[in-house]
Amino acid sequence: MTNLLEICDLVTEFETDEGLVRAVDAVSFEVKPGSTLGLVGESGCGKSVTALSIMQLLPNPAGKIVSGKIFFQGLELTQLPIQEMENLRGNEISMVFQEPMTALNPVQTIGRQLTEVLYLHTDHNETSAIQAALAILEKVGIPSPEIRMSEYPHQLSGGMRQRALIAIALVCNPTLLIADEPTTALDVTIQAQILDLIENLQQQLGMAVLMITHDLGVIAETCQDVVVMYAGKVVEKGSVFDVFDHPKHPYTRGLLKSIPRLDSRAKSKLDVIDGMVPGLLDLPPGCRFQNRCPHKTPECTTTSPNIETVTPGHQVSCLNWKSL
Amino acid sequence: MNKSLLTVKDLKLHFPVKSGLFHRTRLYNRAVDGVNLHVRPGETLGLVGESGCGKTSLGRCIARLYKPTSGEIHFDGQEISHLTAKAMLPIRQDIQMIFQDPMESLNARHTVGDILEEPLIIHKTGNQASRRQRVRSLLDIVGLPTRSISRYPFEFSGGQRQRIGIARAISMNPKLIICDEPVSALDVSIQSQILNLLIELQQEYGLSYLFIAHDLAVVKHVSDRIAIMYLGKIIEEGPSDLIYAQAMHPYTESLINAIPIPDPHRKPERAVISGDVPSPINPPTGCRFHPRCPKQFDPCANAEPITRMLTDQHQVSCHLSELQDAS
Repeated sequence: MTNLLEICDLVTEFETDEGLVRAVDAVSFEVKPGSTLGLVGESGCGKSVTALSIMQLLPNPAGKIVSGKIFFQGLELTQLPIQEMENLRGNEISMVFQEPMTALNPVQTIGRQLTEVLYLHTDHNETSAIQAALAILEKVGIPSPEIRMSEYPHQLSGGMRQRALIAIALVCNPTLLIADEPTTALDVTIQAQILDLIENLQQQLGMAVLMITHDLGVIAETCQDVVVMYAGKVVEKGSVFDVFDHPKHPYTRGLLKSIPRLDSRAKSKLDVIDGMVPGLLDLPPGCRFQNRCPHKTPECTTTSPNIETVTPGHQVSCLNWKSL
Repeated sequence: MNKSLLTVKDLKLHFPVKSGLFHRTRLYNRAVDGVNLHVRPGETLGLVGESGCGKTSLGRCIARLYKPTSGEIHFDGQEISHLTAKAMLPIRQDIQMIFQDPMESLNARHTVGDILEEPLIIHKTGNQASRRQRVRSLLDIVGLPTRSISRYPFEFSGGQRQRIGIARAISMNPKLIICDEPVSALDVSIQSQILNLLIELQQEYGLSYLFIAHDLAVVKHVSDRIAIMYLGKIIEEGPSDLIYAQAMHPYTESLINAIPIPDPHRKPERAVISGDVPSPINPPTGCRFHPRCPKQFDPCANAEPITRMLTDQHQVSCHLSELQDAS
C-alpha cells in the first residue's frame, strides 16, 4: 500500500537569540491512507514543529526546514511553490489546534470562518456555501447550527469551540487531518466526545489522521501506529501493539510505567524517569536520553544510536535494545 | 484517628453576577452550593470534577482566600469560616496551598530564597541565620540543589518550579495542604516525580491533603478517599478503591469510563455522556446532572436527590440508589 504522507529525514531548525536550535532532527515516518498515526512525546520534543513543518506553517524567518523531504500524495511539500501549498492547506491537509480560543478568529462569526475556507478552495456560491457549512456543523454535533453560524467564538463553550474548529478543518473533506493536542485543553467527558467524533468522521470520510498528543491513553485508544519522540528525535515507532506490549526503548518503557493507572494500588510509589529533558541548545554527544537512562553504558555517551528494526514495522533507536 | 482535622458543613459560596444599567446584582453564581466533607489527620481526600464544578472555589474557601457565603468550616477544633484576616493569621501556618501553575504563583522578581523565607518572616520565625538554614533544608527536602537559593523562578523547569511551590507550602510545618491541580501542567515523566514527592512528604510529616484535580487516575493514585463534585455539590464520596470498583453515581461512572486507558487491547466501550457542564448561575432543577444523565427517570428533573449513606463510608446523591434500596 502506498503511503499518503511520507516524511524522510526531516530536519527543522530555529534561529534563537541563544543560537541555532535543531527542534526536529532526522525524523522519518509514514502515514497510510485512512489510518491514524500517533505522535507522542513531552513538551519540547518537536512533535508540534513536525506538524508545522508538514503544513509549511513554521514561523518565518526564525524556523526553517534545513533538509529532508515530505511527500504527500507524491508531491514534495518542501519544494512546493507557496501558491500550490495554499491550495493544499485547509483543503487536502487540515489541522486542528490545541487551544480553539486562540486558533479561531475572535471577531468573526463561526459561519464566516467556515465559509471562508469554502470560498478559498471550492466554487461554492453564497447559498451553497452556507448550506455546506450548516451540514458540517450538524455533522460535528453542534446543536442548532443556524444560530451558531452567526455567533462568535466567545459565545461557545470549550467543547463547542473545538467542534467548530474541527468543522472548519473538515469542511473541504481533507485526506489528512493533523490534530495537534486536540483534547488537551478539554475535560475528560468532553475529550471522550471529541475523540469519538474524530473517529466517526474518519470512518465516514476515509481520511487519515496524524494525532499529536502527550497522552499515551489517547494514543492507545485512537491510533493504529505510534511514533515516540524525545528531544527532537524518533526513539521508537511501530504499531500500538508493538510499542505498548513490547516497548524496546528505555524512554518508552519509563513513560508507560510512570503513568498512574486506575487499577494501580493507591499511594504506591510510581516508577519515575529521573531528571529532565536536556535543553536543545546543549545536547549531550551520543544518545539524548543518556542522562535519564537506567541502562546507560559508556558507549551511549559517545555514539548516537541509529534506528534499528526489531520486527518488521517496529523500530527503535537505542544502542542496547537487544540486551534490555 | 477518627477525629477530623477539617470538617466542612453545608458550605456555600455564591459570587454575585452584576449586570444591567445600575450594575445591580440580579443573579448569583452558585460556585459552591452546600458542601459537606471532612479530612482526617494524615489522610488525603481527593476532589474530582470538571472545570467549572467549583472545586477550586471550594479549596480556596477552605484556605479562607474567599469568605464563604454561609456554612461552617471547622479546622483543628476551631470554626474559621468567619474569622477576620487578623484572627486567621496564626491559622494560616497550618493551612497551606500548592497551585496549578507554579510560574504564576511564584513571584518572578523574587529569588527562590526570598520566596521560601517570606512565610517564615510573616510568621516571625527565628532570626535571619536560622531562617536561611531552614530554607536550605527545605530545598534539600524537595530535591533541589542549595545553589537554587539565589536564582529566580524563570531559571527553573516546570517540575522544579512546582518543587519550589511545595517547599513554600511545607515551610511552616502545616497540618493541611490544599493541592489545587498540582501536576496537571506537568509532563508525564515529571508528573510521577512530583506525585512521589507529595506521597513521601505526607508519610514523613503526617500531612493531610485536599487533593484537587480533574484527572481521576491521578487522584485515585494519591487519595485515601475521593469526593466527586458536580456543579457546586458533592455527588459521591467514598474510599478511593470503592469509588473506582463500585461507582454508584452515573456521573462518576462516566468520568471513569471517559479516561483513556494506555492499553491498545482495551478498546473502549464507553457510554459517552453528551453535552457540557451547565452554568452554575442557573443550574438545572432537581438533580443537577439529569440533563446529561444516561439513566435519568421520573423524579430526576423535579426533586433534588438527598445524600444517602450506602455504607458507613460511601455516600451518594442519586435517585437511582434510593430506588435500588426500596426494591
